[in-house]
Amino acid sequence: MAVVNKKLQAKNVRNLRHIIQAAFFVLVAVTVTMEKLGEAGIKIPILPSGSLHAICPFGGVVSFWNLLNLGTLVKKVHESSVVLGVIGLFLAILFGPVICGWICPFGSFQEFIAKIGKKLFGKKYNNFIPKKIDRVLRYLRYLVFAWVSYMTVVSGKLIFEAYDPYFALFKFWTGEVALTGFIALGAVVVLSLFVERPFCKYACPYGAFLGITNLFRVFGIRRNAPTCISCNACNKACLMNIDVASAKVVRDHQCISCLECTSEVACPVPATVEVMSFAGQAKDSYAEKKASGK
Amino acid sequence: MKINAKSMALAIVATFVVGIGVSQIVGYWKMEGSKTPVAIKEGEFAGLPNPADIRGSYTWEDLGKAFKFDPAWAMTAFGVTDPASKLNTLETVYSKTLLPLGTEIGTGSVRYFVSLITGIPLEAEADNIFPITAIPVLREHSKADPALIDALEAKAFRPGQAAAPAAAPAPEAAGSSAPAATPKAEPAPVVAPAPTAPAASAPAAADVAHAPMVGAVTGKTSFKDLKDWGLDEAKIKSATDGKIGKDGDIVKDWASARGLTFSELKTKLQDLLAAAGK
Repeated sequence: MAVVNKKLQAKNVRNLRHIIQAAFFVLVAVTVTMEKLGEAGIKIPILPSGSLHAICPFGGVVSFWNLLNLGTLVKKVHESSVVLGVIGLFLAILFGPVICGWICPFGSFQEFIAKIGKKLFGKKYNNFIPKKIDRVLRYLRYLVFAWVSYMTVVSGKLIFEAYDPYFALFKFWTGEVALTGFIALGAVVVLSLFVERPFCKYACPYGAFLGITNLFRVFGIRRNAPTCISCNACNKACLMNIDVASAKVVRDHQCISCLECTSEVACPVPATVEVMSFAGQAKDSYAEKKASGK
Repeated sequence: MKINAKSMALAIVATFVVGIGVSQIVGYWKMEGSKTPVAIKEGEFAGLPNPADIRGSYTWEDLGKAFKFDPAWAMTAFGVTDPASKLNTLETVYSKTLLPLGTEIGTGSVRYFVSLITGIPLEAEADNIFPITAIPVLREHSKADPALIDALEAKAFRPGQAAAPAAAPAPEAAGSSAPAATPKAEPAPVVAPAPTAPAASAPAAADVAHAPMVGAVTGKTSFKDLKDWGLDEAKIKSATDGKIGKDGDIVKDWASARGLTFSELKTKLQDLLAAAGK
């Protein structure tokens, strides 16, 4: 009975995340579609309308420099992007990059493609790239972030648009997507058949930016070593291939706070992998040390 | 303090709702541009809206409000009927397949049109042309020199005549008269294309359409074109801070990729070409 309840709980938590992901995916798709229909004179009052850039928090991030120094936003970026950028940063400081794990429609899209990859390759899926190479490749996104930020600041334009597979996904039908965007999107689709969230892991500049908050986020993922049975269920569940099973607190810059590893989902032992505030972790750590007599 | 998935989900959604709600209440939430171009900061025209900042997302109504002229002039000029339509729809209306290679009727053309109507200077792109319907409007409402408008008419797109450059029979007149006739649109290399060679030899219309305009730096100009027009590497590098792209590289793309402002680079190159006698 307990096993059935545990499975049901895991399914509910997964569903909760997937529902939120789907809702944001639909919201973005509708907003962008309505904008294009609006240009053609078709307007439906209830539905939101706006450009993809207006609802992209990364536009707000790369505009900060311009906003602080020149008082203007980068071309095509609007105030809404700044608001979303601040919201994303606030949430990341609290919980880590939840935008990536719970909100980002492009992350959701990759997870959807991953379902096909998992069916094709079973347990081999998401384990194709040797760890040594993979570890190095994970830092590529910081180079992308640095390049995009620098070029956006010096040019005052959204330089990444031409290479952005996220832009290509939602605007492929509009004629606004550059060939490089289509190539990037195609590459992500193909890679997603072998690797979970390849764009997030290796290339996403916004993920790189938010990922840094994993080093100091208020609520972190903690593994309670005394109750851990070393089954590695947390590692197998991690979309980003993070070694949760040997960490006390997950501080990996790639964590997307999807909670797939936690005791609510993958971990079979209650209260073993949990999301806890730093204060809670410190108190817990003190209690552990006291119990062990150290 | 521990939190579970439900709490996190609630916190995420609540943060979005509260964050967006508060920004709306304080009036900061905007999903569209203000439709107000930035003002020119220095010089004779300081304080006036800058035509260079006109965006494709502006409607014709926005344009009229921002620059204080009757939007019907611009709509007549570009053959548009809906004042609420956006400027960027021009690129669909005047599809590139209809226009001669290397030319464009889009937001850039509107910027130039506004500059001519208002007299506010603009560094226009050479590949932006006007539809022929714009010419009578410019003659009636702009303060531009008639010789300049003649030059623009020579290059204007005539529906049904895809090979528009062939309809530019007087390039020498355009080239010689235009620079002196553009005090309100300085610097305006757009009006100095000087395509003398193609016109003189009168090749087939299609050939003319594919030939780069000698001596006129446009968004399609490559480094090879610059060299062919007589600029050696050292001269090009003097305009590009010591760097140079490959022969096949398009100067505009190359500049954008390095964060250089194409309009500034174009002016420097144009000056070098003028000094070289092109």
